[in-house]
Amino acid sequence: MRVVLGMVVTLAGFLIAMLGLVITASIGGRLVLTLIGIAVSLTGIMGVINRAYLKNAIWKN
Amino acid sequence: MKVFVVFLMIACFSGLPVLALGQTPAPASQPAAAAPSASASAPITDADLKAVQAPRPEEKAQGDPGGTITGNASDISVSDAKKGLTLPDILNEIGQDKIAINFVWTLITGFLVMFMQAGFAIVETGLTRAKNANHTMMMNFMVYGVGMLAYWLIGFAIQEGGVGAIANLGGTAPLNAEHTIRIFGKDLGLWGNSGFFLMHHGTYDVGVMVVFLFQMVFMDTALTIVTGTCAERWKYSAFVISSFLMGAFTYPLFANWAWGGGWLAGLGTNFGLGHGYADFAGSGVVHSVGGVTALALGIIVGPRIGKYTRKGKPNAIPGHDIVLVLTGCFILAFGWFGFNPGSTLGAAGSGNLRIASVAVNTMLAGMAGSFSAMLYMWLRYQKPDASMSANGLLAGLVAITAPSGFVNPVASVIIGLVAGFLVCVSVEFVDRVLKVDDPVGAISVHGANGLWGVISVGLFADGTSNFGGAWNGVNGSVRGLFYGDPGQLVAQLIGGVTLIGFVFTLSFAFGLLVDWLVGHRSPAKAELEGLDIPEMGALCYPEFVLREETGAAVQ
Repeated sequence: MRVVLGMVVTLAGFLIAMLGLVITASIGGRLVLTLIGIAVSLTGIMGVINRAYLKNAIWKN
Repeated sequence: MKVFVVFLMIACFSGLPVLALGQTPAPASQPAAAAPSASASAPITDADLKAVQAPRPEEKAQGDPGGTITGNASDISVSDAKKGLTLPDILNEIGQDKIAINFVWTLITGFLVMFMQAGFAIVETGLTRAKNANHTMMMNFMVYGVGMLAYWLIGFAIQEGGVGAIANLGGTAPLNAEHTIRIFGKDLGLWGNSGFFLMHHGTYDVGVMVVFLFQMVFMDTALTIVTGTCAERWKYSAFVISSFLMGAFTYPLFANWAWGGGWLAGLGTNFGLGHGYADFAGSGVVHSVGGVTALALGIIVGPRIGKYTRKGKPNAIPGHDIVLVLTGCFILAFGWFGFNPGSTLGAAGSGNLRIASVAVNTMLAGMAGSFSAMLYMWLRYQKPDASMSANGLLAGLVAITAPSGFVNPVASVIIGLVAGFLVCVSVEFVDRVLKVDDPVGAISVHGANGLWGVISVGLFADGTSNFGGAWNGVNGSVRGLFYGDPGQLVAQLIGGVTLIGFVFTLSFAFGLLVDWLVGHRSPAKAELEGLDIPEMGALCYPEFVLREETGAAVQ
């Protein structure tokens, strides 16, 4: 379940950046939303998906 | 005193080029040549052509040691023997010669890129243990065939089916079917629909064949990145299915968005962001796609037995042959002269003489990457580590791949220096913080530095390149933030978030599917014994005495 949540969060980062293309025409606004998108996607990968896998890592058994 | 002397030497040597750069050009000693007269630029007529004297047969019969009469007007094909040589004959010949030069250039550089597979194979095998050498080599060998099959069947059409006419290669008119979706009032390209099996929709065409060969070897480069990260514990059947899916869907989809007329290329025309996502030779398209897919599968496959202690502390598992690693790196650096300069898809016309600076940028960044990685390891661990110096070279080459067509030599060295440092820091981060086992450092070399390369276009592109007067349908040359176009940086970052957010998720979903179908992980017993016998049925080095390893011993 956490893995699916992680995939949703990772994809959400991409969608935030896409949203930036339409909700603002300013370069600065799009830059900020894209950086937020990158941060959200990285959180999904490193903070959610990877952590879910590390919980049952082979070296813990 | 020593410090002063060293300082003086540095000042002298570094000062000379600075002065040279700052000098205004000296006036020419000879007056400039007079402009051609009006009569010299008058149109050529058929009467002029009849006056052209071709070498006589008796002259030719005496041989041409100086090469002065071989290749002349008599070598131009004549369409009507009665009329003799006409102006249309000459113009057709010039046009075909230009396309021939571009065909040969693109094909030969494609052949160089194909040879990079050998470099990847021996780098990865050298960085893994002898007991898995057959398995690692076979993955690198068969990724070529499996990937090509998937790309020929499906991938090429998705990637290039809607690219449109490539002028350097004479048109490629049949590649004209891009599937678009209308969102926000803009037509956004999603995938191509032409070129399945290289027969569909008129794609049995010489120009299309050149595009296929060149793009196919690029795709295979991306696929082979994953085999390095998953080496020494990846089930062979899982590797085959995963590679097929990546060659058919994951890679071609992003490549279409960036290079095939897709929505990322259109960020400039549709949203006013610079020249759209600009990735000259594929830091993002090839290397980051490979790197983020490697991260996704590396997480799913999990670390090798013995890589981490029960407390999660990483153990170093050295590779078995540093000679293979460094030789492989030289092969890769050689192949990169196909990868980057070849991405002009031509040597004649349309600003393509820029191939010279693309090639020099490539070698400079590679040098800078290996140098900074060596220096980092030397300062941090007291030894100039060979494998990390090798990864530094590759990191510099990966990072310069996207900007190589748009930046100057100084920027190339800066990009390479950052890449060499970044690969060392990233390897430590992946190993110690993420605890993702990556035996060859592929996530850092290709993923992290691919993203750095993408971003560096948005910083350092200097606006001097001119590939046909426009890029991605936007007139003028690509400029980064430091040369006055912040919109280009945003376009590059949107490419980056697409790689991290979308490509990772798609790769991860495919990874879960394959895990459900056949399972990614080899059995623990096979892994400890070495995968050569259990997976491949033969040892790579049957006469070697391999050290026995048990789970308890490596813990």
